[in-house]
Amino acid sequence: MPRLISGALRLRRDPRILKLPPYLSLLCILVGAVWLFLLPLQEYSRRTYISENALLPGQVHTYFGGSDQHVFRAYKHEVDALAGKSNAEINTKLAAIAKGLGLKVSRQNFTYTSAGHVYTGENLYAILQAPRGDATEAIVLVAAWKNARGELNRNGVPLLLTLARYFKRWSLWSKDIIFLVTPDSIAGPQAWVDAYHDAHDSARVDSLPLKSGALQGAIAIDYAQENRFESVHIVYDGINGQLPNLDLINSVNNIAGGQMGMGVALQEMWRHNDQYPDRLRTMLRGMLKQGLGLASGPHSSFIPYHVDAVTLQPFGDGWQDEMAMGRVVEGTFRSLNNLLEHLHQSFFFYLLMQRERFVSIGTYLPSAMLVAANFTIMAIALWIKSGQREEGGDKTEDKDGKAEGDESTITTTTTTTTTPGASLAVEREIFLPLGFVTACQFLAFVPLYLFNHAPESLLTPLFTIFALLNTLLPHLISSLITTYYTPTKQQYQLIKCFSLLLLGMFLSSLATLNFSLSLLVGLLASPLTFMRPWPSSPAMRIACTVLLNAIAPTAVLVASAAYWQVGVGEVLREAAFAWDVYGMYSPVVVWCVWWPAWLAGSVIDLGRPVEGRGKVKTA
Amino acid sequence: MRQLLSFSLLSFFSLCFAVLTAAADYHEQLVLRPLPLSALLASFNFRSNTTLSAFEAHNFRFFPRSLGQILQHAGTRELHLRFSLGRWDAESWGARPWNGAREGGTGVELWAWLEADTDEQADHQWLTLTNALSGLFCASLNFIDGTRTTRPVMSFQPEGDHPNATDTNTHLLYGVLPHEVVCTENLTPFLKLLPCKGKAGIASLLDGHKLFDASWQSMAIDVRPVCPPEGEGECVLEIEQTIDMVLDIERSKRPRGNPIPRPLPGHELHCDTSKPYHSGDTCFPADSTANQDWSLSQVFGKTIKGICPLTDPNVPPVCLQVPDSRSVYISNGGLEKKNQDGMSRCFEIEPETTNFELLLPRPEDLPADNLQAGQQVENIVKPETPLLYAERSFTGHGQERGGVQTILRNPSPDKEVEFIYMESLPWFMRIYLHTIQARIEGGPSDHDPLVQEVYYRPAVDRARGTQLEVRMRVPPASTVFLTYDFEKSILRYTEYPPDANRGFDVAAAVITILSPNKNGTRSATYNLRTTSLLCSLPTPDFSMPYNVIIFTSTAIALAFGGMFNIIVRRFVAADEGPEVSVGSLKQKLVVPLRRIFARVKPGPR
Repeated sequence: MPRLISGALRLRRDPRILKLPPYLSLLCILVGAVWLFLLPLQEYSRRTYISENALLPGQVHTYFGGSDQHVFRAYKHEVDALAGKSNAEINTKLAAIAKGLGLKVSRQNFTYTSAGHVYTGENLYAILQAPRGDATEAIVLVAAWKNARGELNRNGVPLLLTLARYFKRWSLWSKDIIFLVTPDSIAGPQAWVDAYHDAHDSARVDSLPLKSGALQGAIAIDYAQENRFESVHIVYDGINGQLPNLDLINSVNNIAGGQMGMGVALQEMWRHNDQYPDRLRTMLRGMLKQGLGLASGPHSSFIPYHVDAVTLQPFGDGWQDEMAMGRVVEGTFRSLNNLLEHLHQSFFFYLLMQRERFVSIGTYLPSAMLVAANFTIMAIALWIKSGQREEGGDKTEDKDGKAEGDESTITTTTTTTTTPGASLAVEREIFLPLGFVTACQFLAFVPLYLFNHAPESLLTPLFTIFALLNTLLPHLISSLITTYYTPTKQQYQLIKCFSLLLLGMFLSSLATLNFSLSLLVGLLASPLTFMRPWPSSPAMRIACTVLLNAIAPTAVLVASAAYWQVGVGEVLREAAFAWDVYGMYSPVVVWCVWWPAWLAGSVIDLGRPVEGRGKVKTA
Repeated sequence: MRQLLSFSLLSFFSLCFAVLTAAADYHEQLVLRPLPLSALLASFNFRSNTTLSAFEAHNFRFFPRSLGQILQHAGTRELHLRFSLGRWDAESWGARPWNGAREGGTGVELWAWLEADTDEQADHQWLTLTNALSGLFCASLNFIDGTRTTRPVMSFQPEGDHPNATDTNTHLLYGVLPHEVVCTENLTPFLKLLPCKGKAGIASLLDGHKLFDASWQSMAIDVRPVCPPEGEGECVLEIEQTIDMVLDIERSKRPRGNPIPRPLPGHELHCDTSKPYHSGDTCFPADSTANQDWSLSQVFGKTIKGICPLTDPNVPPVCLQVPDSRSVYISNGGLEKKNQDGMSRCFEIEPETTNFELLLPRPEDLPADNLQAGQQVENIVKPETPLLYAERSFTGHGQERGGVQTILRNPSPDKEVEFIYMESLPWFMRIYLHTIQARIEGGPSDHDPLVQEVYYRPAVDRARGTQLEVRMRVPPASTVFLTYDFEKSILRYTEYPPDANRGFDVAAAVITILSPNKNGTRSATYNLRTTSLLCSLPTPDFSMPYNVIIFTSTAIALAFGGMFNIIVRRFVAADEGPEVSVGSLKQKLVVPLRRIFARVKPGPR
């Protein structure tokens, strides 16, 4: 042990150790990226399993069917007749039907404003009180009048009503069942869930007059398709990349795929052959959705409140009818009804790559952590480096300097130790670097505020102006700094050190909250690790500037908008809506974590350091 | 055992007959009341008395001996025990049966007046009582420990007459178990207390399958001394057993062998034929509010097996509360007697009758398929509006703190309601009393305070729960929100139950509505209970402690090894230390070996 310690101490003084960090950082990035691509392999992923024994999915007979289909057709006629009517009219009609079924019905108004638009509507919900239960627990069935794509939920709403009538006949419910019909898929459920947990702003969202117990789970039906379907698509992404308990997805999977014999798809992979490419694609799509943190359906709003929820979307052309869909919901509700405890057993952090394969956090987290660690390693290395006297580029000079150092310093080590060269310590001038990094961080609030508060008509022009400014900004700042402060190489090192330190810190803590976002930002920001002033090679400087502008947050935004063929304005409006309505924090990460680091990196790249003024100080 | 039982039964019967000739001390009655939304309220009431002198002489006739001995042993003056399940839907069913006096919150509730000289003695007797009752009723009453026991100050008043009681020697204790699931094992001992058990009389209708399939049910036992006015006779000890249940008629009518609500064949559905799209395979259902026809054997699964021979013949055993306009069919041996109010009728059953059946057909004057909500009300007795609606729920989210909100609505247009709101909360819900607030919906309540009196007994961690009694009022036709915040404490990890992630049940709040008496005082007229709540506390991942233990042990072992090594080692300069060479190593080996050889070899003495 003491030998080990002394060995480590000796190693610390080895100048070769300071040459290592860039390679180490590169290795971290490469391993992190490669790690991700190993995950879909058979050996690295696991088969899903039901962890909570109480769920017993697919163990009950489902009886929904028969003459319930006659009722369904009637309700469908009613819903069809309501198409195109106003929200209040629709709710009045639906409330009358629900009251006729003997449910307790109530309504809730909400108004949200975002990007100059006003989103207003009225939620309708009906509570089926558990016949022998107490109002302690509840499960929710949601059907939005319009699904996330804006289509009328033509079969979903009648199915909800028919199921309500059917569930009323059973006496086995141990939890209340809440049937919720919202005018849209995002704002309505959000308003309702917020109000249910008293986390709403009562000026915009009404309080709920009727409540039940703690929510234990929620299923949303998104069934806009007219003809018969083949498979069920499970949408599970929550807000800010939060996910429902894996047991819930597994239960639905088990019931739909196993008991009912229909296909199950995830992440819009309509065909999945369970080979490496398909697994990878499913996983990457899942990660992208998680990273964006957008709400993907009515279920998303429930997840932040620790209410596990999924949306079921029938798709494809097959022979399964509405009753089959109803039986899937029935089976899932019977399973949820069995729950004795809140879902807690299985995983909340996972990546699904096929309906029966997943990787858990322990397996995938190192990937993002390694990418985040590369920044920290570099930051620490730069800190040490900046505290040492600058040595010449030549190796012979290096040796000379070392010898000189040995002579001129009074070292605290005993003469017997054979430590090679305790190099000169240099006083760090940290005022400019600290000030610069702080200013960058504060500057980040400008785009954050602008894009979240501007009306929609201004978003595209604002963004264009900002993107152009963003390209010029590093040049401007760089020339300003060089003119007024004439920073040394050490100061550039320190700027980079602080900037990377912050980035590494933010990203590694973000990795535990939203793995995908952390990894995406980490990979896009990874070139920043290798930025340095290029005083003597303009070609490198230009190349790096081009590279940096290609991976700028604005450029990435434009590129991805072009790839998905949506306007930048629309992306920004969506982001502002997400920020205002359900508190998506991705813009904060982009503007307050990534962008300042990028700005600092760009300025360093353009830097023109003057030769060291660092005072030599004895250590 | 059986011989003994039959003997005791025989002697019991002979005794009972002797008493019957003198004065009937037992009677039973079943009141049936159809409620809106195809529900049926069935109230079973059994009452028997024994004189206090006979009771004290261990001379039991109708009074169940098993219970009587427990009461005597624990020095109980008055006892109230409740087993409840489900919730009363006041919005549709109206006022509660017995004005809420014979019901409890979900689970088991027990309160009793004990005779004891000191508080400690009362606690001791309470322990005896709960443990004995726990055995008698197969319920976990023994879990009513100090943390679940309170001593209400304002909410409960004795129902019986306690002539020689003083404040110092009678103690009221109240305990509640909200998580207790009431089921058949509690019904069987309940029926055993009856003189006719469940064999004859109205008790023969009671069947666990139907009782516990009810939408709401409450079993109550009340024991209280009743004294006649001065000088008119001896005080008696009265035991009243009550079962109230609300049956869902449609659900109860399903045969026991086939309880699954399969979809009806298409042609049996009640459809709204007025819809334009109505056809053979499209049917808008019209069946939900109909279904007011039933018979005893349909809803209870059996008929009344004659009358209990011990019962008072003057009290009709079955009463039905429907308007006189509706016809009711009864089997032979029954006799219908209509009451004057035109809203109820009672049925006498001749003693020889072995099976009594009662059938309420569909209202004749209306076609079955066309029942509208307005017309339907005329076919049943309109439910009375309760004095107060109460609904309680949690506010807030997260595992650190939360709030409780009770919505109290006074439906009366002109009468103010004054009541006592009592909460007995578990100790791990630490309430912030300063946050307690009552506000009227819509308007400020500046003129008159809503909360008039607060009695608060703070919790002591792991020893007793919070007791909060609030005397307050709700002005006419208004809604009052009573809110308070609380903090959730973190339990020790051994204190969590096996189903820790379920949450912890919080007992129902008891609301006692007060009405002015003739002599100016106020007394309880109506009781209601809110639903119970489920409070989720911060719950550890129970595998975590083991992971942590293993991890820290490993870390400590590694660190300690190195540390210890450094601490005990003596550092010397390399040239000061012994020379390490092959020669010295050899020397080290050779010296001990020599020593051993020297021992083995017998040396000179």
